[in-house]
Amino acid sequence: MSSFLHRKRASRCWVVLCRNPNAETQFVRSVLFSTLHEPQPRNLNKPPKPQNATISIESHRILDPGPCSFSPKTSKTLPGSLQNVKNSFASAKSSGFSSNLGLPMVKSLFGFHGDLSRCSLVRLFGTQAAQEPSTSDGLTVDRILNSEWPILTEEESDWKSHATAIAQSIHLIKKRLQWKKLLVRLDMLSVELNKPDLWNDPVHAGKISREHGSLMGKMKEVKAFEQELLEHVDMIKLAREENDVELESESMKALLEMRITSKEKETQALLAREQDPCSCYIEVQSGAGGTESNDWASMVMQMYKMWAQRRGYKMTVVDEMPGEIAGIKRATIKIDGEYAFGYAKAEVGVHRLVRISPFDSNKRRHTSFAAVAVTPILGDVSAHVQINESDLRIERFRSGGSGGQHANTTDSAVRIVHIPTGITATCQNERSQHQNKASAMAVIQARVDQLEMARQTQKNAQYSQSLTDITWGSQIRSYVLQPYRMVKDLRTNYEVSDPDSVLEGDLDGFILSYLSASLDKDEDDR
Amino acid sequence: MKLSLTPKLSTFLKPSLATNLRRSVCSSSLSRPPPTSLKPQSPLFLRPPIHSATSSDLQKWHDWAKTLASSIGSTFADSDNGPDSTLLCRELKWLIDDAIEEEDEEEIENDQRKIRLRVALEELYLLWKQRIQERRPFQYIVGCEHWRDLVLCVQEGVLIPRPETELIVDLVGDVVSDNEELREGLWADLGTGSGAIAIGIGRVLGAGGRVIATDLSPTAISVAAFNVQRYGLQDVVELRQGSWFDPLKDVEGKLAGFVSNPPYIPSDNISGLQAEVGRHEPRVALDGGVNGMDDLLHLCKGAAFMLKPGGFFAFETNGEKQCKYLVEYMENDAGGSFCNLSIVTDFAGIRRFVTGFHK
Ligand SMILES: C[S@@+](CC[C@H](N)C(=O)[O-])C[C@H]1O[C@@H](n2cnc3c(N)ncnc32)[C@H](O)[C@@H]1O
Repeated sequence: MSSFLHRKRASRCWVVLCRNPNAETQFVRSVLFSTLHEPQPRNLNKPPKPQNATISIESHRILDPGPCSFSPKTSKTLPGSLQNVKNSFASAKSSGFSSNLGLPMVKSLFGFHGDLSRCSLVRLFGTQAAQEPSTSDGLTVDRILNSEWPILTEEESDWKSHATAIAQSIHLIKKRLQWKKLLVRLDMLSVELNKPDLWNDPVHAGKISREHGSLMGKMKEVKAFEQELLEHVDMIKLAREENDVELESESMKALLEMRITSKEKETQALLAREQDPCSCYIEVQSGAGGTESNDWASMVMQMYKMWAQRRGYKMTVVDEMPGEIAGIKRATIKIDGEYAFGYAKAEVGVHRLVRISPFDSNKRRHTSFAAVAVTPILGDVSAHVQINESDLRIERFRSGGSGGQHANTTDSAVRIVHIPTGITATCQNERSQHQNKASAMAVIQARVDQLEMARQTQKNAQYSQSLTDITWGSQIRSYVLQPYRMVKDLRTNYEVSDPDSVLEGDLDGFILSYLSASLDKDEDDR
Repeated sequence: MKLSLTPKLSTFLKPSLATNLRRSVCSSSLSRPPPTSLKPQSPLFLRPPIHSATSSDLQKWHDWAKTLASSIGSTFADSDNGPDSTLLCRELKWLIDDAIEEEDEEEIENDQRKIRLRVALEELYLLWKQRIQERRPFQYIVGCEHWRDLVLCVQEGVLIPRPETELIVDLVGDVVSDNEELREGLWADLGTGSGAIAIGIGRVLGAGGRVIATDLSPTAISVAAFNVQRYGLQDVVELRQGSWFDPLKDVEGKLAGFVSNPPYIPSDNISGLQAEVGRHEPRVALDGGVNGMDDLLHLCKGAAFMLKPGGFFAFETNGEKQCKYLVEYMENDAGGSFCNLSIVTDFAGIRRFVTGFHK
């Protein structure tokens, strides 16, 4: 692990500083402070120099900096940053770190760079969420931001530039995590957790403690990242005072690395909602307009199938109702994989196509619509809404006839109606009726859960506003094939002039720009 | 072409058992054995992948097969409620699932990807021709039927289990769930065919529960035995050959439960049946006499002396008429020895099953 050394160095220094494990942040800071102003108080003042002279500074980089051409401002380079998440995942894997495929890639990154926090910060900040970390001379993340130091390219070894870029990322990450709301929610959950009768309802208690754990993790991680930034800044100042060239360049490297990592964290922060890591169903329904619409619906479905393939997700067709002449009237696919819902939820809404219809002998231009719905599949069974067997109507399609021994058909499609909500699901792609029923039931469960979550969300509107419109939503994107060629997202104005690539599943640009737009728009949200 | 290549063995509870069985039962010949053969035919998906084809040759076959399927349109559906193109195309996909062995490493030969097959490519042409031109049932083509969460081997001479019949297992599951005596008792499935109901029930009974499965047809008995073994239920399901109650003399009055899907189609209807059924499935499994009630009535009469007090029965029928007739019979002519009689509909809304308890 190439970055290990400077990490170790930094943390060793930190460990020295807070040798007393019960040290309060305040205390630690004052020690640090004093070490900087009184050069030789005890032997705490200076981190030991690396013993091993063969350490190559070059080897400090973990991540290939090649594709990380981020603009320092914000999120214009989102597709790039996505690519980056993938790359760094790959590199984390190839370096033998977290090759467990079951581990979410986003998490593995967090874990990777959270090294420092593990040694000491977690304990310190776990209970001090409100404490604002600062450097020995009182520099905070906000002050760095307010200083408006110019951001230079990554190649420039200017700590102020790096620090500002990182501070901007932290600012954005906090906004995306809805920081203030997150802290309020955490407080609320802590109060809940401390209630003596909490475990009288173990399901509820489990839910609360899981959510608390997950939010706490996110909060600590950002805090640790802030702390790490300030530490490196301290270190650079110290190095300069001491004329320690090696320490300075090491800390500069560390800052640069943080700057790169922070871009990844920005992307990860887009997918921080509770259900984002879930697998999901994508349902496409053709609008009015017969064959042309049905054809469009199948093109949209094909787009998602190819998108899923690109992302390495597993895709299964649950239900497909073909149109009379071409295309589909509706179809449902299941996408299995980490963060499938987090990404796919950005696709909910009506997709519009303008083209000269191949089904029109007069070669006229047609406008068609297809609606997309996305439903998360909750991994946590205890979070499922209990469904009563008696609330279900289970039907099988038959083309008339007496059935039973009279008929031999491999068609065992099943439709289930959940009577209280009117939610229906059909499955005909399994080879037995029993399995079709089980698949349809899983869809019903996911939709009922989603409906329930929407209800809950309305109740806790002050905390999280679900991105997922439970209904089919409004028009979100326009695909024009003639007279000109363009795909444009009506929510973000993100546009692409090559519809073919989009229809072949190159959707991440649209998805990420939407996710960032929807999380970043609210200016006073951090 | 997108071939969906799902390894099929994973569907089974005991893959090792399945592999062993495959070894011992696999027949080296691909041709159909004579109908009297007692050695069950190996289903496609359990055969070893000893054949291969280039991806482009396979693609050619697939295109040909798809065109053939599409040419059918709704012809079969209109003539006798047979399959339409959509369904045939889905069957084609499943045929590929069963015939292809998915591999991690690809074999490349002359720049062509080699695909390992469980059946020769020529045989695939033949099989699909049989499916379309002879209307040979898809399940006989691949040698299996997916039924509930089971994959049951079937072949000519044995009725292909129907989706409707899956519900009998649910009905039994419901009555045994809160009745230990029934759950741990002795059950019978009369006219077991492929063993479908017996195996399904064998898996919902408790540790002490047993099933005796009978059939008149030796082919059915051997296929059922194969399926029972594949699911490792040899100690739970016992097979006996003979006509209805004949092989059950020793358990008279001892049965906790008794289920059957006997032949119930009126003789007159046999000639007009869907081609897949009428031309290919065994008549002895379908023909229930003049009004289709011969066997059902025989079974109803026997129910009273086969079941112990509190015992449960469930029969599948041809529909509303037979259901009503049977209920009336059980209420009046059977001398009041039954209670809680009820008629249960299938998922298509047809009154399909008669259930009740011995007083
Ligand atoms: C409609 S099939 C049902 C097969 C199987 N139980 C199922 O549901 O798939 C009827 C079965 O009854 C068997 N059968 C016909 N006459 C019989 C008799 N007299 N005694 C025992 N079984 C008989 C047939 O061989 C056939 O397997």
